[in-house]
Amino acid sequence: MKIEWTKTALGRRGFLKGATALGAAAVLPAGLGSRALAAEGGTLRVRSYGDMQSIDPAFSKGVIDEEIHAAIYNKLIQYKPGREWDWQMDAAAMIEQGDETHIKFALRDDIGFTNGFGAMTAEDVKFSFERIVDEATDSPNKPDMGPLSHVDVTGEREGTIVLKEPFAPLWSIALPYITGNIVSKKAWEAAGGKATTDPLAESGPYLRASWSPKEKTVLKRNPDWKGDAPAWDTIEILPIDDENTAEIAFEAGELDFTRVSLGSVQRYRDGVPGGGTLLEYPSLYYTWLGMNLDHPKLQNPKLRQAIQHAIDVPSVLEAAYFGAAEPSTGIIAPGLAGHRPQSLVPPQADFAKAADLLADSGETNVTLKLDTLNKTTFTTAAQVIQATLAQIGITVEVNVLESGAFWASADNEDLQLVLNRYSMTPDPYYATSWFTTEQVGHWNWEQFRNPEFDKIHAEAAQLTDVAKRDEMYRRAQDLMEESGAYRFLTHEATPVVHSAGVVPALRPDGLALLRYFGKA
Amino acid sequence: MLLYAIRRFGLALLILIVAVTVMFLMIRAVPGDPVQIMLGPRATPELQARLTAELALDQPVWKQLLIFYGNLMQGDLGVDVFSGRSVTAIVFDQLPHTLALIFASITWSALLGIGLGAYAAAHPNTLIDRITAAISVSFVAAPAFVVALLSLLIFAVHLQWFPAIGAGEGFWGRLDHLVLPAFAIGLSWVGYIARLVRASMLEVMGESHIRTARAFGISERRVVMVYALRIAILPVVTVIGVGMGFLLSSAVFAEIVFARPGLGKLVIDSITTRNYPIVMGSVLISTGLFVASTALADLINAWLDPRARTAD
Repeated sequence: MKIEWTKTALGRRGFLKGATALGAAAVLPAGLGSRALAAEGGTLRVRSYGDMQSIDPAFSKGVIDEEIHAAIYNKLIQYKPGREWDWQMDAAAMIEQGDETHIKFALRDDIGFTNGFGAMTAEDVKFSFERIVDEATDSPNKPDMGPLSHVDVTGEREGTIVLKEPFAPLWSIALPYITGNIVSKKAWEAAGGKATTDPLAESGPYLRASWSPKEKTVLKRNPDWKGDAPAWDTIEILPIDDENTAEIAFEAGELDFTRVSLGSVQRYRDGVPGGGTLLEYPSLYYTWLGMNLDHPKLQNPKLRQAIQHAIDVPSVLEAAYFGAAEPSTGIIAPGLAGHRPQSLVPPQADFAKAADLLADSGETNVTLKLDTLNKTTFTTAAQVIQATLAQIGITVEVNVLESGAFWASADNEDLQLVLNRYSMTPDPYYATSWFTTEQVGHWNWEQFRNPEFDKIHAEAAQLTDVAKRDEMYRRAQDLMEESGAYRFLTHEATPVVHSAGVVPALRPDGLALLRYFGKA
Repeated sequence: MLLYAIRRFGLALLILIVAVTVMFLMIRAVPGDPVQIMLGPRATPELQARLTAELALDQPVWKQLLIFYGNLMQGDLGVDVFSGRSVTAIVFDQLPHTLALIFASITWSALLGIGLGAYAAAHPNTLIDRITAAISVSFVAAPAFVVALLSLLIFAVHLQWFPAIGAGEGFWGRLDHLVLPAFAIGLSWVGYIARLVRASMLEVMGESHIRTARAFGISERRVVMVYALRIAILPVVTVIGVGMGFLLSSAVFAEIVFARPGLGKLVIDSITTRNYPIVMGSVLISTGLFVASTALADLINAWLDPRARTAD
């Protein structure tokens, strides 16, 4: 390409004259009118804490993607909005557990894919599920499908999911969550097997109309959707990572639904602007203080028990979570099988008992390092722990780490105490999976090794007897606590606000199920 | 002038290479396994190993640097491992938002700052001058994030004159969404430019050509606006050029506070997730912008004031 250079007519003197004129015109009149606040009737605006990463369920990065996937794709079953974990039919007209390793299903006959990819068939289900576990796909979500063997197609819309061994989380994770999204086999094959950020074919009540990276995802009603009509014509999902910004946007009338910070809960309890409502849900996160069992300074079990009893959980929660979160009893949240009604060590500190245990341990001049993330909540919690441990004479040095450095702690031999938080999906299997012996050096930072715990983790996942699972997971958490390596703190909380015109549909942990959002 | 321009852009290129290389080495010196962060806990060891090899993270750092520059020479900034999108596309998606914010901030602050400074210089040691000085210093001292939050609460939540978040759609929508963030990060520049213009103009006003102009009976308004101000704004051009770097960093928090898309936010997100390709792509572009704007300011200065060409 030839570039023609032309001499500009603007000379140096001309430029100086122009610049001088600009300088002289310093103050411009600004006529500002009042901004109309009326919400657009058919548009629901919700906040997401991050931006979409992938439109492909096999490569979904978690709840941020799933909020969109759940609206534009269908699953055999979906989570049921409410306060109790449950599921409801979606693309399945029928689904039943034949035996422990076979699940029969029949698809509805009125679901089709966009872009001319035809009706949803059992072949699509087979393709969607099997590609998740296929080594060639390299899906990071493969563990969610557990021991899936294959899907037998027995009719155009009928089939059987075949497992290698029983897998209870199939009903709580595999089918109603990320990996359960059914994509079009034809569309994916036509695209070479992989989608990135543009949908290849959609089938849900909404279609993704547009995506402006870091700015907005817009969902519009699917005109061909034959199921229950969604309430909103348009859903705008705005990625806002800062909760305070989201609160301001909500109060300015630019959002209809958002999670809010724990620090603002009390303010919203006193009243939500614009006639909105505050809803408080527990979260599935679990936060705890861990002790590295392999560290020379933490070999003494009496010392570890002293630390457990010296940490006053209510004080930590009051300071770090503004009193908006409840103490936890373990790693499994309320509402899930395996949740313990109470922990072995009560949440309140018992300084006398802690001092006795420390004396029994024979340890003196104990100085420990506590690693934590550089988030205000965690640094505050760490400072309270530091103060409470000081009451029995244990000196704690708080070591604040940036996220990258913190999450590389698995092979940190010098790790002593760590304030940690993991997230999970709604099945106890997911929580216990990080604390098995196999996870030492990966996500089991306390180096906790217990054969009975490992056995429970392996066996309870295969049980469909809820009562038995409940008992086993409770025992697993007893074992964790008895090791002295854990002081369970909280499951945190998910406070959300919504505007007056919205009826939110939320999972029991407060996360949005957008397709079910209604109008007041 | 041409020789000067070649020398200046040569230096700019060298600065860019050094800055990008230092950033490359720094990001790799930060602890934390990027593959583990990218893929999360559920990724299989095989997948982790594959991505590690794909990103050349199993190679020595010097080799990674060579690979990076090799790809760069072919115009390849790599692929975002999260979304699989081209880094170039991602960076250039965000760049216009940041450029618009910077341009809007610097435009309004320069216009107001030059006006205030010129007015104060034309009325030295009067009440107006003192009030202008107080305002200017207050503006300089006001932390931008405080201005951002207060302006949000006042103008978006309470008065509802301007939108609180996002970048808007269409020309007017985007302009509307620029007002508060541009106000927040431009405010301190108003004070800074005003002080600079005032000092510069007072110096110019004492020079012989101004005295000559006055002796010829040219009106005071014309002397100030035409003869003094046009010389006095020269330092402002340099300051604006150098200020691009500061504005880029200010844009980071403005993009967070106002939930705006942009390069600054992209960089922060990428660093915390150790998203190497995005970090390097963003840094390359933002450093390039900074270096280019500084060089451009020098060239404009040299064009306006020929003495600058031989100064160094």
